[in-house]
Amino acid sequence: MLRATLAKRRGGFALDVAVEAPAGGTLVVVGESGAGKTTLLRLLAGLDRPDAGRVAVGERVYFDAAAGIEAPAWEREVGYVAQDYALFPHLTVRENVAFGLRARGVPRHDARASADAALDRLGVADLALRRPAELSGGQQQRVALARAAVTEPRLLLLDEPLSALDLGTRQVVRGELRALLSELSAATVFVTHSPLDATVFGDSIAVIENGRLTQVGARDDLLRHPRSAYVATLLGVNLLQGTVVSRDAGGVAHVRTADGMLAVADPGADGPVYLTVNPQEITLYSAPPAGSAQNVFRGPVIEIVPEPPAGDRVRVALGTSPPLVAEITRQAVAGLGLREGMPVYAGFKATGVKAYH
Amino acid sequence: MLWEIGVLAAVAVLLVFLGLPLLSLLLRVPPAELWARLLAPASLTALRLSLVTSLAATVAIAALGVPAAYLLATRRFPGKRVVEVLLELPMVLPPTVAGVGLLLAFGRAGLAGKALAALGLSIPFTTLAVVLAQVFVACPFFVSAATAGLREVEARYADAAATLRATPGYAFRRVLLPLALPSVLAGGAMSWARALGEFGATIMFAGNLPGRTQTLPLAVYIGFQTDLQSAVALAVILLILSFTVLLGLRLAHRPPRLPWVGRAPGDAR
Repeated sequence: MLRATLAKRRGGFALDVAVEAPAGGTLVVVGESGAGKTTLLRLLAGLDRPDAGRVAVGERVYFDAAAGIEAPAWEREVGYVAQDYALFPHLTVRENVAFGLRARGVPRHDARASADAALDRLGVADLALRRPAELSGGQQQRVALARAAVTEPRLLLLDEPLSALDLGTRQVVRGELRALLSELSAATVFVTHSPLDATVFGDSIAVIENGRLTQVGARDDLLRHPRSAYVATLLGVNLLQGTVVSRDAGGVAHVRTADGMLAVADPGADGPVYLTVNPQEITLYSAPPAGSAQNVFRGPVIEIVPEPPAGDRVRVALGTSPPLVAEITRQAVAGLGLREGMPVYAGFKATGVKAYH
Repeated sequence: MLWEIGVLAAVAVLLVFLGLPLLSLLLRVPPAELWARLLAPASLTALRLSLVTSLAATVAIAALGVPAAYLLATRRFPGKRVVEVLLELPMVLPPTVAGVGLLLAFGRAGLAGKALAALGLSIPFTTLAVVLAQVFVACPFFVSAATAGLREVEARYADAAATLRATPGYAFRRVLLPLALPSVLAGGAMSWARALGEFGATIMFAGNLPGRTQTLPLAVYIGFQTDLQSAVALAVILLILSFTVLLGLRLAHRPPRLPWVGRAPGDAR
């Protein structure tokens, strides 16, 4: 079980996160490049020193700023697979995999046997005598995994393990890696910029944006209830935040947001809420609507994008406050004479807004 | 076209300028006579002394230079820039200045010399002084090459070794040094060639005693005033040794085969 809180400032960038991963489980940290994913792994591995925080795996404390504890990287039971794998070019595949065992004094013969078993487990036993430069990207990746896993680490850190592979190899390795991770007893932290990898590998998923975790949760909750701009964008929904100020008997609640009041489906309780509006729930008008839309915003059309490219629907990005994305038919675009820069009204019903805490 | 001609002309001028003196040396003495002069006792003595001292200097430089290169390549510490400059300085310092400095330090009244004299030791004008002079002027070549090699390897592989539970010492022995070995050997060869050609500091600090401190370059200088043909024969030897070292370095240098991620022989990409 990994429990870590970490703070690190470097230049204008600040990382400040708390992460947990159970033994045998996988936490995927997903975010854009530059969000702090690799920094997080390096701090956990002991390759960089946090400014503050604590890193504990099980009962072992590797770092504790307050208590003055700092275990160097080579004393931590951590496996780390870097994005470029960093296989040692002067050693054979077998020697690479045996390296971590030899380094802690395992006799040569035993280390070799363990290395061969690990290579066999990953289906690359026949490469034992090759050098890294003779391997394909997918083979290097498997060898790097074998090298990290053979030492039976209590914490396994994977930095974009699939991103250096071409598309076909990635499909295959993704399946293999899932199977391998499910067998390991280590807590795994897997960082990626790929939302697909996040949903495939993450028992729990943490979204990292600009050095902070903006949403952490189980995969299903994350996808059903976006609480971060990243996940909302990923799912293609409009995300707003507000506070419930009153609730009607008719199942409608009134929520105060930074941009005014909204009528929403009753979330069942008072207090701060997240609101999502599916773009298909939003209707566009050229004049103020008189009908059943309870929420209306006015703003210019910013962009009109076919979605999907060959389909009969389009996504319309609006310069409303807050910014909204609507999805309407091509016929509606023609009927309204919609073009970029044109001011429009965007309306949606209270029942079109999902509210949750 | 004009550009091409200009470049080639400039290169031709440079090569002729550098090559002409070398060619003149080679053409001055007929090969048969060259051989005879080399085998003369005085020449052999100088040659032997040069080889022994320069090799001893190279061993000393490697023994002290590898830790220095490791420190510079892998650590950050206050005053690092100053240490780097100190280790580079002999490269640009006139060797005569080095000689004066060594004499002042290790001479009878020098800072270290006084202490050594108390122990009954005197270094100036001994074979040891020759070696010290060579170490002084040649060590920067080794340190800078070894540092560059170690730095490159450390940036790429030190973290991987550390997360595989290699202590810094184990990582150095099993990963950093083996991978940086080509750079370390190249630095050793450069240092050896520089030590072999050392003149200024040697003559100031060690003098010119045949059999004890008269190395090849000194013998060339003395021969120039007394017996030109012998001087030229020794000069040719130095020239051939230096040329062989540098050419050998070029031929031995193979571009390292690093496993480029996602782009290996088997990958179509």
